[in-house]
Amino acid sequence: MKREILARILLLALCLVVVLIPLALRDRSLTLRARMPEDDGWSPQVIQAAAGQPLRLRLTSEDVTHGFAVGQMEMASVDVLPGVVSEVTLLFDEPGIYTFFCTRWCGLNHWRMRGTIEVSGGDAPALADAPLYVALGLDIDAPHPVPGVPSQIPSAARGGQLAEIVSLAEFSTPEYYRAHSPYQVYQDLVSTNLNAAERWDVVSYLWRSQTTAEGLAEGARLYAQNCAACHGETGGGDGVFADQLAASGQSSSQTMHGSMSARTPADFTDAQNMLGASPALLQGKLMRGGMGTGMPMWGVIFTEEQSWNIIAFLYSFQFQYQGVTR
Amino acid sequence: MKSAMIFRLLMLAGGLALALLPSFAQAAPPVERVFRIEASSFAYKPGQIQLNLGDRVTLELVSMDVVHGLYLDGYDLSLTADPGQTARLTFVADRAGSFRFRCNVTCGAMHPFMIGKLTVGPNHSFTLAAGLTISAIAIFLLIHPRRASQ
Repeated sequence: MKREILARILLLALCLVVVLIPLALRDRSLTLRARMPEDDGWSPQVIQAAAGQPLRLRLTSEDVTHGFAVGQMEMASVDVLPGVVSEVTLLFDEPGIYTFFCTRWCGLNHWRMRGTIEVSGGDAPALADAPLYVALGLDIDAPHPVPGVPSQIPSAARGGQLAEIVSLAEFSTPEYYRAHSPYQVYQDLVSTNLNAAERWDVVSYLWRSQTTAEGLAEGARLYAQNCAACHGETGGGDGVFADQLAASGQSSSQTMHGSMSARTPADFTDAQNMLGASPALLQGKLMRGGMGTGMPMWGVIFTEEQSWNIIAFLYSFQFQYQGVTR
Repeated sequence: MKSAMIFRLLMLAGGLALALLPSFAQAAPPVERVFRIEASSFAYKPGQIQLNLGDRVTLELVSMDVVHGLYLDGYDLSLTADPGQTARLTFVADRAGSFRFRCNVTCGAMHPFMIGKLTVGPNHSFTLAAGLTISAIAIFLLIHPRRASQ
Protein backbone atom coordinates (compact mmCIF):
# COMPACT_ATOMS: atom_id res chain seq x y z
CA MET A 1 0.00 0.00 0.00
CA LYS A 2 2.71 2.43 0.98
CA ARG A 3 4.59 1.58 -2.18
CA GLU A 4 1.60 2.39 -4.34
CA ILE A 5 1.19 5.84 -2.77
CA LEU A 6 4.89 6.46 -3.33
CA ALA A 7 4.51 5.39 -6.95
CA ARG A 8 1.55 7.71 -7.42
CA ILE A 9 3.41 10.65 -5.93
CA LEU A 10 6.40 9.90 -8.14
CA LEU A 11 4.19 9.74 -11.21
CA LEU A 12 2.51 13.03 -10.29
CA ALA A 13 5.90 14.68 -9.76
CA LEU A 14 7.11 13.44 -13.13
CA CYS A 15 4.01 14.81 -14.85
CA LEU A 16 4.57 18.19 -13.18
CA VAL A 17 8.20 18.26 -14.32
CA VAL A 18 7.17 17.48 -17.88
CA VAL A 19 4.74 20.40 -17.83
CA LEU A 20 7.16 22.78 -16.12
CA ILE A 21 10.18 22.16 -18.37
CA PRO A 22 8.76 23.94 -21.45
CA LEU A 23 7.40 26.72 -19.23
CA ALA A 24 10.83 27.25 -17.68
CA LEU A 25 12.63 27.16 -21.02
CA ARG A 26 10.05 29.33 -22.75
CA ASP A 27 11.52 32.09 -24.86
CA ARG A 28 10.68 35.31 -23.11
CA SER A 29 11.26 37.47 -26.17
CA LEU A 30 8.29 39.14 -27.76
CA THR A 31 7.28 38.48 -31.35
CA LEU A 32 6.48 41.60 -33.32
CA ARG A 33 4.56 40.91 -36.52
CA ALA A 34 4.49 43.35 -39.41
CA ARG A 35 1.66 43.71 -41.89
CA MET A 36 0.97 46.44 -44.40
CA PRO A 37 -0.62 49.53 -42.79
CA GLU A 38 -3.88 48.82 -44.67
CA ASP A 39 -3.97 45.53 -42.73
CA ASP A 40 -3.33 47.12 -39.32
CA GLY A 41 0.44 47.49 -39.46
CA TRP A 42 2.41 46.31 -36.45
CA SER A 43 1.08 43.81 -34.00
CA PRO A 44 1.33 44.54 -31.14
CA GLN A 45 1.37 48.31 -31.64
CA VAL A 46 2.33 49.10 -28.05
CA ILE A 47 5.21 47.31 -26.36
CA GLN A 48 6.03 47.56 -22.66
CA ALA A 49 9.65 47.62 -21.55
CA ALA A 50 11.71 48.65 -18.55
CA ALA A 51 14.60 51.07 -18.54
CA GLY A 52 18.00 49.41 -18.21
CA GLN A 53 16.67 45.98 -19.10
CA PRO A 54 17.26 44.52 -22.54
CA LEU A 55 14.15 44.10 -24.67
CA ARG A 56 14.41 41.15 -27.02
CA LEU A 57 12.21 41.27 -30.09
CA ARG A 58 11.62 38.65 -32.72
CA LEU A 59 10.57 40.39 -35.92
CA THR A 60 8.74 38.80 -38.80
CA SER A 61 6.52 39.91 -41.64
CA GLU A 62 3.23 38.42 -42.68
CA ASP A 63 3.12 39.97 -46.14
CA VAL A 64 5.83 42.04 -47.82
CA THR A 65 9.27 43.32 -46.90
CA HIS A 66 9.24 45.79 -44.02
CA GLY A 67 11.94 47.36 -41.89
CA PHE A 68 12.24 48.15 -38.20
CA ALA A 69 13.94 51.02 -36.41
CA VAL A 70 13.32 53.05 -33.27
CA GLY A 71 13.18 56.82 -33.59
CA GLN A 72 15.79 59.03 -31.86
CA MET A 73 17.96 55.99 -31.18
CA GLU A 74 21.35 55.07 -32.54
CA MET A 75 20.55 51.83 -34.32
CA ALA A 76 20.83 50.35 -37.78
CA SER A 77 17.45 49.49 -39.23
CA VAL A 78 16.60 45.79 -39.40
CA ASP A 79 14.86 44.28 -42.41
CA VAL A 80 11.67 42.42 -41.53
CA LEU A 81 11.11 39.70 -44.11
CA PRO A 82 8.27 37.26 -44.67
CA GLY A 83 9.20 33.76 -43.62
CA VAL A 84 12.26 34.94 -41.70
CA VAL A 85 12.55 35.82 -38.02
CA SER A 86 15.07 38.57 -37.30
CA GLU A 87 16.08 39.09 -33.71
CA VAL A 88 16.94 42.44 -32.26
CA THR A 89 17.82 43.42 -28.71
CA LEU A 90 17.14 46.96 -27.56
CA LEU A 91 18.37 48.66 -24.43
CA PHE A 92 16.67 51.81 -23.20
CA ASP A 93 18.60 53.94 -20.73
CA GLU A 94 15.86 56.47 -20.12
CA PRO A 95 12.18 55.84 -19.40
CA GLY A 96 9.74 57.40 -21.81
CA ILE A 97 7.69 56.67 -24.89
CA TYR A 98 9.67 55.70 -27.97
CA THR A 99 8.29 55.36 -31.49
CA PHE A 100 9.28 52.52 -33.75
CA PHE A 101 8.59 52.71 -37.46
CA CYS A 102 8.84 50.89 -40.78
CA THR A 103 11.99 51.68 -42.76
CA ARG A 104 11.21 49.90 -46.05
CA TRP A 105 8.68 51.41 -48.45
CA CYS A 106 5.97 48.78 -48.16
CA GLY A 107 3.13 50.74 -49.77
CA LEU A 108 1.48 54.15 -50.19
CA ASN A 109 0.71 54.30 -46.46
CA HIS A 110 4.16 53.09 -45.43
CA TRP A 111 4.76 56.16 -43.30
CA ARG A 112 1.66 55.42 -41.20
CA MET A 113 3.23 52.20 -40.03
CA ARG A 114 4.37 53.09 -36.55
CA GLY A 115 4.07 51.81 -32.99
CA THR A 116 5.29 52.79 -29.54
CA ILE A 117 7.48 51.29 -26.86
CA GLU A 118 6.55 52.45 -23.36
CA VAL A 119 9.65 52.28 -21.21
CA SER A 120 8.89 52.43 -17.49
CA GLY A 121 11.10 52.76 -14.44
CA GLY A 122 13.15 55.51 -12.84
CA ASP A 123 12.06 59.11 -12.69
CA ALA A 124 9.45 60.45 -15.04
CA PRO A 125 11.21 61.91 -18.09
CA ALA A 126 11.61 65.65 -18.18
CA LEU A 127 9.24 67.32 -20.60
CA ALA A 128 10.91 68.15 -23.87
CA ASP A 129 11.47 71.80 -24.67
CA ALA A 130 8.89 73.36 -26.94
CA PRO A 131 10.11 73.43 -30.53
CA LEU A 132 11.75 76.63 -31.68
CA TYR A 133 8.86 77.70 -33.90
CA VAL A 134 6.57 77.79 -30.84
CA ALA A 135 9.04 79.88 -28.86
CA LEU A 136 9.33 82.29 -31.81
CA GLY A 137 5.56 82.39 -32.25
CA LEU A 138 5.72 81.41 -35.91
CA ASP A 139 2.58 80.43 -37.80
CA ILE A 140 3.99 77.54 -39.78
CA ASP A 141 0.82 77.15 -41.87
CA ALA A 142 0.89 80.71 -43.23
CA PRO A 143 2.17 81.10 -46.79
CA HIS A 144 5.63 82.65 -46.96
CA PRO A 145 6.43 83.71 -50.52
CA VAL A 146 9.12 86.31 -51.13
CA PRO A 147 8.60 89.33 -53.42
CA GLY A 148 11.87 88.85 -55.31
CA VAL A 149 14.19 85.95 -56.02
CA PRO A 150 17.89 86.04 -56.92
CA SER A 151 18.66 86.30 -60.63
CA GLN A 152 21.37 83.63 -60.34
CA ILE A 153 21.96 80.81 -57.88
CA PRO A 154 23.68 82.37 -54.84
CA SER A 155 27.17 80.96 -54.37
CA ALA A 156 28.65 80.34 -50.95
CA ALA A 157 32.18 80.49 -52.40
CA ARG A 158 31.62 84.01 -53.82
CA GLY A 159 29.90 85.00 -50.57
CA GLY A 160 32.93 83.79 -48.62
CA GLN A 161 35.18 86.20 -50.50
CA LEU A 162 32.79 89.08 -49.75
CA ALA A 163 32.58 88.04 -46.09
CA GLU A 164 36.22 89.06 -45.68
CA ILE A 165 35.48 92.69 -46.54
CA VAL A 166 32.22 93.25 -44.65
CA SER A 167 31.38 92.71 -41.01
CA LEU A 168 28.94 89.83 -40.55
CA ALA A 169 29.30 89.14 -36.82
CA GLU A 170 25.65 89.88 -36.01
CA PHE A 171 24.41 87.55 -38.78
CA SER A 172 26.69 84.65 -37.94
CA THR A 173 25.14 83.21 -34.77
CA PRO A 174 23.09 79.99 -34.86
CA GLU A 175 20.22 81.81 -33.12
CA TYR A 176 20.07 84.45 -35.85
CA TYR A 177 20.29 81.83 -38.62
CA ARG A 178 17.47 79.69 -37.22
CA ALA A 179 15.07 82.56 -36.65
CA HIS A 180 15.48 84.34 -40.00
CA SER A 181 14.53 83.40 -43.52
CA PRO A 182 17.16 83.91 -46.25
CA TYR A 183 15.07 86.80 -47.59
CA GLN A 184 15.02 88.55 -44.21
CA VAL A 185 18.80 88.27 -44.00
CA TYR A 186 19.09 89.55 -47.57
CA GLN A 187 17.11 92.62 -46.51
CA ASP A 188 19.04 93.09 -43.27
CA LEU A 189 22.26 93.06 -45.31
CA VAL A 190 21.26 96.36 -47.00
CA SER A 191 23.42 98.07 -44.36
CA THR A 192 26.54 96.52 -45.93
CA ASN A 193 26.21 98.50 -49.19
CA LEU A 194 26.57 95.38 -51.32
CA ASN A 195 24.51 94.96 -54.47
CA ALA A 196 21.63 92.49 -54.70
CA ALA A 197 23.56 89.59 -56.22
CA GLU A 198 26.39 90.04 -53.71
CA ARG A 199 23.97 90.09 -50.79
CA TRP A 200 22.42 86.80 -51.94
CA ASP A 201 25.92 85.32 -52.19
CA VAL A 202 26.60 86.40 -48.61
CA VAL A 203 23.32 84.80 -47.48
CA SER A 204 24.42 81.58 -49.18
CA TYR A 205 27.77 81.81 -47.38
CA LEU A 206 26.08 82.44 -44.01
CA TRP A 207 23.76 79.46 -44.50
CA ARG A 208 26.63 77.20 -45.49
CA SER A 209 28.73 78.32 -42.54
CA GLN A 210 25.99 77.17 -40.13
CA THR A 211 26.52 73.55 -41.14
CA THR A 212 29.40 71.23 -41.97
CA ALA A 213 30.21 68.87 -44.79
CA GLU A 214 29.33 65.95 -42.48
CA GLY A 215 26.05 67.60 -41.44
CA LEU A 216 25.06 68.09 -45.08
CA ALA A 217 26.00 64.49 -45.87
CA GLU A 218 23.84 63.18 -43.03
CA GLY A 219 21.00 65.47 -44.12
CA ALA A 220 21.30 64.13 -47.67
CA ARG A 221 21.23 60.54 -46.42
CA LEU A 222 18.16 61.08 -44.23
CA TYR A 223 16.47 62.99 -47.06
CA ALA A 224 17.03 60.12 -49.50
CA GLN A 225 15.75 57.55 -47.03
CA ASN A 226 12.71 59.36 -45.73
CA CYS A 227 11.74 62.30 -47.93
CA ALA A 228 12.75 61.64 -51.55
CA ALA A 229 9.93 59.21 -52.32
CA CYS A 230 7.45 62.11 -52.17
CA HIS A 231 9.59 65.26 -52.49
CA GLY A 232 11.76 63.83 -55.27
CA GLU A 233 15.43 62.95 -55.41
CA THR A 234 16.19 66.41 -56.77
CA GLY A 235 13.81 68.22 -54.40
CA GLY A 236 11.26 69.18 -57.03
CA GLY A 237 8.22 67.82 -55.15
CA ASP A 238 7.87 65.26 -57.93
CA GLY A 239 8.78 62.01 -56.17
CA VAL A 240 7.32 58.72 -57.32
CA PHE A 241 4.51 58.98 -54.77
CA ALA A 242 3.50 62.56 -55.63
CA ASP A 243 0.85 61.55 -58.19
CA GLN A 244 -0.63 58.86 -55.99
CA LEU A 245 -0.76 61.24 -53.03
CA ALA A 246 -2.60 63.84 -55.11
CA ALA A 247 -5.09 61.19 -56.25
CA SER A 248 -5.72 59.85 -52.75
CA GLY A 249 -5.80 63.39 -51.33
CA GLN A 250 -8.67 64.33 -53.63
CA SER A 251 -10.88 61.59 -52.23
CA SER A 252 -9.89 61.94 -48.58
CA SER A 253 -9.89 65.71 -48.22
CA GLN A 254 -13.64 66.31 -48.09
CA THR A 255 -14.24 68.62 -45.15
CA MET A 256 -17.25 70.42 -43.68
CA HIS A 257 -16.34 73.42 -45.80
CA GLY A 258 -16.29 71.50 -49.04
CA SER A 259 -13.30 69.82 -50.52
CA MET A 260 -9.83 71.07 -49.76
CA SER A 261 -7.44 71.49 -52.61
CA ALA A 262 -5.29 68.41 -52.81
CA ARG A 263 -1.79 69.61 -52.12
CA THR A 264 1.22 68.00 -53.65
CA PRO A 265 4.53 67.61 -51.76
CA ALA A 266 6.48 70.84 -51.25
CA ASP A 267 8.88 71.81 -54.03
CA PHE A 268 12.24 72.66 -52.44
CA THR A 269 13.59 74.01 -55.71
CA ASP A 270 10.94 76.77 -55.66
CA ALA A 271 12.92 79.85 -54.61
CA GLN A 272 9.79 81.89 -53.83
CA ASN A 273 8.81 79.57 -51.01
CA MET A 274 12.17 78.33 -49.81
CA LEU A 275 13.86 81.72 -49.45
CA GLY A 276 10.93 82.99 -47.37
CA ALA A 277 11.17 80.13 -44.88
CA SER A 278 13.39 80.32 -41.83
CA PRO A 279 15.09 77.16 -40.51
CA ALA A 280 12.80 77.29 -37.45
CA LEU A 281 9.73 77.37 -39.70
CA LEU A 282 10.94 74.44 -41.78
CA GLN A 283 11.81 72.53 -38.61
CA GLY A 284 8.27 73.12 -37.33
CA LYS A 285 6.79 71.75 -40.55
CA LEU A 286 9.15 68.77 -40.48
CA MET A 287 8.66 67.86 -36.84
CA ARG A 288 4.91 68.46 -36.69
CA GLY A 289 3.86 67.38 -40.20
CA GLY A 290 0.30 67.79 -41.37
CA MET A 291 -0.29 70.98 -43.38
CA GLY A 292 -3.37 69.30 -44.87
CA THR A 293 -1.09 66.94 -46.78
CA GLY A 294 0.23 63.47 -46.21
CA MET A 295 3.32 64.90 -44.51
CA PRO A 296 4.13 62.65 -41.53
CA MET A 297 5.07 63.89 -38.08
CA TRP A 298 8.82 63.41 -37.79
CA GLY A 299 9.26 64.88 -34.31
CA VAL A 300 9.23 61.44 -32.72
CA ILE A 301 11.65 59.97 -35.26
CA PHE A 302 14.43 62.51 -35.81
CA THR A 303 16.63 63.94 -33.13
CA GLU A 304 16.98 67.73 -32.93
CA GLU A 305 20.42 67.51 -34.55
CA GLN A 306 19.16 65.32 -37.38
CA SER A 307 16.35 67.78 -38.09
CA TRP A 308 18.81 70.71 -38.41
CA ASN A 309 20.98 68.62 -40.73
CA ILE A 310 18.01 67.84 -42.96
CA ILE A 311 17.02 71.51 -43.05
CA ALA A 312 20.58 72.57 -43.88
CA PHE A 313 20.45 70.09 -46.74
CA LEU A 314 17.08 71.42 -47.97
CA TYR A 315 18.60 74.88 -48.51
CA SER A 316 21.25 73.31 -50.76
CA PHE A 317 18.50 73.09 -53.41
CA GLN A 318 18.62 76.92 -53.44
CA PHE A 319 22.27 77.71 -52.82
CA GLN A 320 25.44 76.75 -54.62
CA TYR A 321 27.70 75.18 -51.98
CA GLN A 322 30.38 73.97 -54.36
CA GLY A 323 33.85 75.21 -53.57
CA VAL A 324 33.26 75.22 -49.81
CA THR A 325 34.88 72.19 -48.25
CA ARG A 326 34.56 72.75 -44.53
CA MET B 1 16.68 24.07 -117.59
CA LYS B 2 20.33 24.57 -116.76
CA SER B 3 19.89 28.24 -115.93
CA ALA B 4 17.04 27.30 -113.57
CA MET B 5 19.37 24.84 -111.82
CA ILE B 6 22.09 27.50 -111.44
CA PHE B 7 19.50 29.92 -110.06
CA ARG B 8 18.43 27.37 -107.43
CA LEU B 9 22.03 26.65 -106.43
CA LEU B 10 22.69 30.39 -106.15
CA MET B 11 19.55 30.73 -104.04
CA LEU B 12 20.80 27.98 -101.70
CA ALA B 13 24.25 29.59 -101.41
CA GLY B 14 22.70 33.02 -100.77
CA GLY B 15 20.36 31.66 -98.12
CA LEU B 16 23.16 29.86 -96.27
CA ALA B 17 25.36 32.95 -96.47
CA LEU B 18 22.56 35.11 -95.02
CA ALA B 19 22.06 32.59 -92.21
CA LEU B 20 25.66 31.94 -91.25
CA LEU B 21 27.83 34.92 -92.21
CA PRO B 22 26.73 37.35 -89.45
CA SER B 23 28.02 34.85 -86.87
CA PHE B 24 31.51 35.16 -88.33
CA ALA B 25 31.32 38.92 -88.66
CA GLN B 26 33.24 41.07 -86.19
CA ALA B 27 31.12 41.69 -83.07
CA ALA B 28 30.19 45.30 -82.32
CA PRO B 29 32.91 47.09 -80.31
CA PRO B 30 32.11 47.29 -76.55
CA VAL B 31 30.40 50.52 -75.46
CA GLU B 32 29.15 52.11 -72.27
CA ARG B 33 25.44 51.65 -71.79
CA VAL B 34 23.06 52.97 -69.15
CA PHE B 35 19.66 51.42 -68.66
CA ARG B 36 17.04 53.02 -66.43
CA ILE B 37 14.68 50.29 -65.26
CA GLU B 38 11.47 51.41 -63.59
CA ALA B 39 10.02 48.85 -61.23
CA SER B 40 6.37 49.11 -60.28
CA SER B 41 3.57 46.74 -59.28
CA PHE B 42 5.16 43.52 -60.37
CA ALA B 43 6.74 44.61 -63.67
CA TYR B 44 9.98 46.09 -64.93
CA LYS B 45 9.95 48.78 -67.56
CA PRO B 46 11.71 47.95 -69.88
CA GLY B 47 11.26 44.26 -69.27
CA GLN B 48 13.78 43.22 -71.90
CA ILE B 49 17.29 44.52 -72.33
CA GLN B 50 19.56 43.79 -75.27
CA LEU B 51 23.29 44.43 -75.25
CA ASN B 52 26.50 43.23 -76.81
CA LEU B 53 29.21 41.06 -75.35
CA GLY B 54 31.85 43.15 -73.58
CA ASP B 55 29.63 46.19 -73.04
CA ARG B 56 30.06 48.07 -69.82
CA VAL B 57 26.54 48.30 -68.46
CA THR B 58 25.08 50.49 -65.74
CA LEU B 59 21.67 49.46 -64.47
CA GLU B 60 19.66 52.12 -62.67
CA LEU B 61 16.81 50.63 -60.71
CA VAL B 62 14.07 53.15 -59.90
CA SER B 63 11.21 52.02 -57.74
CA MET B 64 7.88 53.64 -58.57
CA ASP B 65 5.85 52.29 -55.64
CA VAL B 66 7.34 50.01 -53.00
CA VAL B 67 10.76 48.57 -52.30
CA HIS B 68 11.85 46.32 -55.17
CA GLY B 69 14.96 44.36 -55.97
CA LEU B 70 16.65 43.04 -59.06
CA TYR B 71 18.63 39.80 -59.10
CA LEU B 72 20.37 38.94 -62.35
CA ASP B 73 20.66 35.21 -62.99
CA GLY B 74 23.98 33.98 -64.38
CA TYR B 75 25.83 37.10 -63.26
CA ASP B 76 24.83 36.73 -59.60
CA LEU B 77 24.30 40.46 -59.14
CA SER B 78 21.62 42.12 -57.10
CA LEU B 79 20.19 45.57 -56.47
CA THR B 80 17.62 46.90 -54.02
CA ALA B 81 15.82 50.20 -54.55
CA ASP B 82 13.42 52.01 -52.23
CA PRO B 83 11.25 54.72 -53.78
CA GLY B 84 13.30 57.91 -53.91
CA GLN B 85 16.59 56.04 -53.69
CA THR B 86 17.76 55.07 -57.15
CA ALA B 87 20.10 52.08 -56.97
CA ARG B 88 22.95 51.79 -59.47
CA LEU B 89 25.15 48.90 -60.48
CA THR B 90 27.89 48.76 -63.12
CA PHE B 91 29.25 45.55 -64.59
CA VAL B 92 30.88 44.24 -67.75
CA ALA B 93 28.68 41.88 -69.78
CA ASP B 94 31.24 39.11 -70.25
CA ARG B 95 28.82 36.20 -70.59
CA ALA B 96 26.75 35.73 -73.71
CA GLY B 97 23.22 34.42 -73.60
CA SER B 98 19.80 35.28 -72.22
CA PHE B 99 19.48 35.77 -68.49
CA ARG B 100 16.41 36.29 -66.33
CA PHE B 101 16.34 39.07 -63.81
CA ARG B 102 13.73 39.00 -61.11
CA CYS B 103 12.64 40.86 -58.01
CA ASN B 104 14.37 39.55 -54.89
CA VAL B 105 12.50 41.66 -52.35
CA THR B 106 9.06 40.38 -51.39
CA CYS B 107 7.00 43.25 -52.75
CA GLY B 108 3.45 41.91 -52.82
CA ALA B 109 1.10 39.21 -54.02
CA MET B 110 2.43 38.95 -57.58
CA HIS B 111 6.07 39.25 -56.54
CA PRO B 112 7.08 35.80 -57.91
CA PHE B 113 5.99 36.90 -61.40
CA MET B 114 8.09 40.04 -61.48
CA ILE B 115 10.71 39.05 -64.02
CA GLY B 116 12.59 40.50 -66.97
CA LYS B 117 15.15 39.36 -69.50
CA LEU B 118 18.68 40.48 -70.29
CA THR B 119 20.13 39.28 -73.57
CA VAL B 120 23.86 39.53 -74.13
CA GLY B 121 25.14 39.01 -77.68
CA PRO B 122 24.37 40.14 -81.22
CA ASN B 123 20.83 39.56 -82.43
CA HIS B 124 21.20 37.21 -85.42
CA SER B 125 17.89 35.46 -85.02
CA PHE B 126 16.15 37.34 -87.85
CA THR B 127 18.87 36.84 -90.47
CA LEU B 128 19.29 33.25 -89.33
CA ALA B 129 15.59 32.52 -89.71
CA ALA B 130 15.35 34.32 -93.07
CA GLY B 131 18.49 32.59 -94.46
CA LEU B 132 17.38 29.14 -93.36
CA THR B 133 13.93 29.66 -94.89
CA ILE B 134 15.43 30.68 -98.25
CA SER B 135 17.83 27.69 -98.13
CA ALA B 136 14.98 25.32 -97.34
CA ILE B 137 12.98 26.57 -100.33
CA ALA B 138 16.07 26.17 -102.57
CA ILE B 139 16.64 22.59 -101.34
CA PHE B 140 12.97 21.77 -101.88
CA LEU B 141 13.22 23.06 -105.47
CA LEU B 142 16.45 21.07 -106.05
CA ILE B 143 14.86 17.83 -104.84
CA HIS B 144 11.61 18.30 -106.77
CA PRO B 145 12.78 20.02 -109.99
CA ARG B 146 9.84 18.72 -112.04
CA ARG B 147 7.09 20.01 -109.82
CA ALA B 148 8.74 23.40 -109.78
CA SER B 149 9.12 23.60 -113.59
CA GLN B 150 5.55 22.57 -114.38
